[in-house]
Amino acid sequence: MSFKVVKSGFLTTVQDYGRLSHGKHGMSQSGVMDEHAYCWGNHLLNNHFNDATVEITFGGVELETQIDTFIAVTGADLNFKINNRPVQMWHGIRVSKGDVLSWGNPKKGIRAYLAVKGGFNTSVLFDSRSVNLRENIGNKLCDGDQLPCVGHDEEVYQFIPPKYIPNYSQDITLRLLPSYQFNEFSINQRDLFFNQTYTITNANDRTGCRLSGAPIVIKKERMISEGISYGSVEIATDGLPIILLKDAPSIGGYPKIGTVFSLDLAKLAQRQPNSKLRFELMSIRDAQKERKKFNDFFEIGF
Amino acid sequence: MPNIVSAGENSILIYFGDKIDASLPKNIANFANQLKNEMGGVVINLIPSYNSLHVSYDLNVIDYQDFVNQVEQCLKQNQNTASALESKTIRIPVYYGLEVGLDLERLLQEKNLDLDAFINVHSSKEYLVYAIGFSPVFAFLGEVDERIQLPRLNTPRIKIPAGSVGIAESQTAIYPSDSSGGWNIVGRTPIDLSLNNLENIDKFNVGNQVKFDPISRDEYLSSGGKL
Repeated sequence: MSFKVVKSGFLTTVQDYGRLSHGKHGMSQSGVMDEHAYCWGNHLLNNHFNDATVEITFGGVELETQIDTFIAVTGADLNFKINNRPVQMWHGIRVSKGDVLSWGNPKKGIRAYLAVKGGFNTSVLFDSRSVNLRENIGNKLCDGDQLPCVGHDEEVYQFIPPKYIPNYSQDITLRLLPSYQFNEFSINQRDLFFNQTYTITNANDRTGCRLSGAPIVIKKERMISEGISYGSVEIATDGLPIILLKDAPSIGGYPKIGTVFSLDLAKLAQRQPNSKLRFELMSIRDAQKERKKFNDFFEIGF
Repeated sequence: MPNIVSAGENSILIYFGDKIDASLPKNIANFANQLKNEMGGVVINLIPSYNSLHVSYDLNVIDYQDFVNQVEQCLKQNQNTASALESKTIRIPVYYGLEVGLDLERLLQEKNLDLDAFINVHSSKEYLVYAIGFSPVFAFLGEVDERIQLPRLNTPRIKIPAGSVGIAESQTAIYPSDSSGGWNIVGRTPIDLSLNNLENIDKFNVGNQVKFDPISRDEYLSSGGKL
């Protein structure tokens, strides 16, 4: 009972909500890069919020269905097809034994999610199915791999209101919570940070996203290493920001100007290199309110 | 009283001091345990490191201000109770040989030491685990004797073999698995510290002590060490 990997693509990994409680063991949070697309995928299938999905980066993937079940594909438009025919995304779909699912080249966005009814049952390592290549926890998919799951016949044909389907081509503004060393940056440094448009560079992966722009001159280059939050914005020695993402090391020693709101990081996860972005301030109160609403809707609880 | 700052929408950082201090890691590890016991329902993740503790909490059930207030209450109690963390020393056998200590020859030359003197300085001390990070099971140990301190390499190596023991300034550490890195490699342990053995996840904890035991080439090889 599984999906067979015919073509594994550039970077395809199993991801769930993440490995949330192993910071003291030096582990990254790991987990899906785009929580918005991932949560919708599971939600459409009435899955648990932590059910494992396949995160497909840049496409080039072909899977053969070996059971009858329901799936939902969300996130980037990677030219998703079933048996060579284009199929609607953000929609619960029935698939049957022998169907071939394929993803081609990116049209919009970077990462697509394949959710299956009941989730993928790959092995749980340290309380999560999330693969972290930097930490040698799990492997990326290879040709011939099997993705185990249990067949389901509960009909789930739900789809999402079109207004919730994001446009991944728009420039983004990331809302930043003042945190960490925010107060140690001068007014001039902060002005330069908030009043410029940054560009996403090619150094943009599951660990972090490096930006180019006008450098901020900083006095304090290194500090004592401390715990890193998802979305922390380090200002590296060259004065340019690096946004730390799901596979970032658990501790780090560069000054951080703040932390990006998690749901804005979901948008960042779909932006190609050379995309433009800006930062604006957000209060912790607003961030918690908006995130709580999201958690309530998708029944995310611990 | 430790200083608390926000670290994002569901995290805070508690600073127990503003510099590296050997008295802090045990206190921080202790307080992390206390928080887990007393606020386990809302605390999700704890990352102790040198002088700070990063804490993530469940924003579904508690907001920032209430969480900070409760942590401050715990901190007050913590100051009243003496630190009770049990001392634990982990012993790691190390072969300090030129075949595995990739930077040993240069270090001996620069520091004007012979091999025995170096081994004695590096292995006679019990080191404190200040932080776990960079990768799982990678423990930052301090403090290295000034006579054998060296800065990181200008260009990190692409591949350092698993088990390699390195020095960077006042810190020493063991690479648990093959990885890139810029530390000066002075020896290698034959024991497997990688996550291939799942129990290694708890091998080192912040506040533990680590002692290196020098072993001969024969002992290294017979314990499964590779050259």
